[in-house]
Amino acid sequence: MSDETKVDLELDLKGLLCPLPMVKVSQNITNVPVGGVIRAVATDPGAMADIPAWAKSTGNEVLKAEKEDGEFVFLVKRVK
Amino acid sequence: METQQLTTLAGVIDKKMNRQLKQYIDICARCAICKDACHQYVGTGDFKYLPARRAELIRQIYKKYFDKAGRFVPALYEARDPDENLLEELYESTYACTACRRCMYFCPFSIDTAWILSVAKAMLIAAGMGNEMLSQLADAAIMKGDQPELFRDVLVSGFKDIEAEVREITGDPSAEIPVDKEGADILYVGLAGAHSIRPAAVIFHEAGASWTLSLFESANYGFFLGDAEKARKIADRYMDEALRLGVKEVVITECGHAYRVAKIFHEAWSGKKHPFRVRHILEVIDEYITDGRITVDPGSVKGAITYHDPCQIGRNGGLFEEPRRIVRALAADFRDLTPNREQQWCCGGGGGIVAMSEFDEDRIKSGAKKVEQIRATGATIIAAPCENCRLQLEQLRDHHELDLHITPIMDLVVEAMPLAGTKAAQA
Repeated sequence: MSDETKVDLELDLKGLLCPLPMVKVSQNITNVPVGGVIRAVATDPGAMADIPAWAKSTGNEVLKAEKEDGEFVFLVKRVK
Repeated sequence: METQQLTTLAGVIDKKMNRQLKQYIDICARCAICKDACHQYVGTGDFKYLPARRAELIRQIYKKYFDKAGRFVPALYEARDPDENLLEELYESTYACTACRRCMYFCPFSIDTAWILSVAKAMLIAAGMGNEMLSQLADAAIMKGDQPELFRDVLVSGFKDIEAEVREITGDPSAEIPVDKEGADILYVGLAGAHSIRPAAVIFHEAGASWTLSLFESANYGFFLGDAEKARKIADRYMDEALRLGVKEVVITECGHAYRVAKIFHEAWSGKKHPFRVRHILEVIDEYITDGRITVDPGSVKGAITYHDPCQIGRNGGLFEEPRRIVRALAADFRDLTPNREQQWCCGGGGGIVAMSEFDEDRIKSGAKKVEQIRATGATIIAAPCENCRLQLEQLRDHHELDLHITPIMDLVVEAMPLAGTKAAQA
């Protein structure tokens, strides 16, 4: 996924321990329209499994889940 | 609500009500001693949080459907249908409860309100009113167990990063975080984050333990949700792993409810006896210190320190002395909270409530007793071996502007160990 993806909401989840990054993404997903994208940055490595698992079980889509400079960056698209 | 749906919901109560629960329903004398025992009622003064009131809602439904007098003269016997109004009231009083069971300790009849509320949760789930956030967290955990191949590489990659840190902390380039190690003595089940894995790995390494790390986290939001089937599936992930690897014991990290799930509930849920023992990491560390397998500096903790008994480890798990022995081994100035052990006040952060934002305001209010206890000690450090407790304590500290450092016990232990590395235990 290119970095040009339009982001509707930025979430700074740095310092939060799992499962809070997943909780924050879930609490905020309805703050973007269907088709909208959240960009979330976390520092807890557990988020790399938690957020994709949450997205899969709730029917949303993770466009990106990558480690960048010691942080974990997610692009999560609201599907429904 | 249609009659058939009301009957279905009442049927949930009938299915869940065993003789013990029926006895609880019958014997409550409404003495209200429980009101002074509940941190939520004391902190908020809200009637819906009075333990006897929480249970009363279930009692009212039970009387309407399963008690002759209540069925024929419901108004006289306060018998009610589980209609929308009752269910909304039940939702708030049930999911706000941290299941600390302090009310049971002080009840003259030992009425277990948390157990009664497990019936309420089952009914709320049947009505489609189970807490959505807890349900999502539980489903995500089950997803990781159902399709581990999707998550394995990213998890193992994360463990390798932590392993590199463990090598820096210990100064030993051969230190490992083993995964899937058949025949290891211990399967250690952490939380999803590195903070629960890093210090345990250092301690196991220094003790020369034979161990392996679970791919799965021990946190169990199915338990908080009140869905025993989901809770069992979440715990099955690491219990099956323990069976497959042939370990001698499962060791649960510094987490309250996860310890209780693994130690007390899982065998009943699965109908199978574990061929291994289950212990809390603090039991293991206490043993390592006592047996001289790890060395700690007795003056490592500077300043006054206190200890908070997480309800699921202390009052509901029976571990009181092990954590105190560890803290005393590290600190010259240990000051216990009053009251403590079985009578310890709940901090207000248990039961999954920290993940349910609708209760945030009352959650902070309900920590009033804990703040009062901490202030009375004059301690500037508090050790709390439970993630939910620590999160709540951090928010209480910020709200009340306390001069307080909140820490897991494992971190204190690693800081007190004479290690060759230069990196601190926590990033």
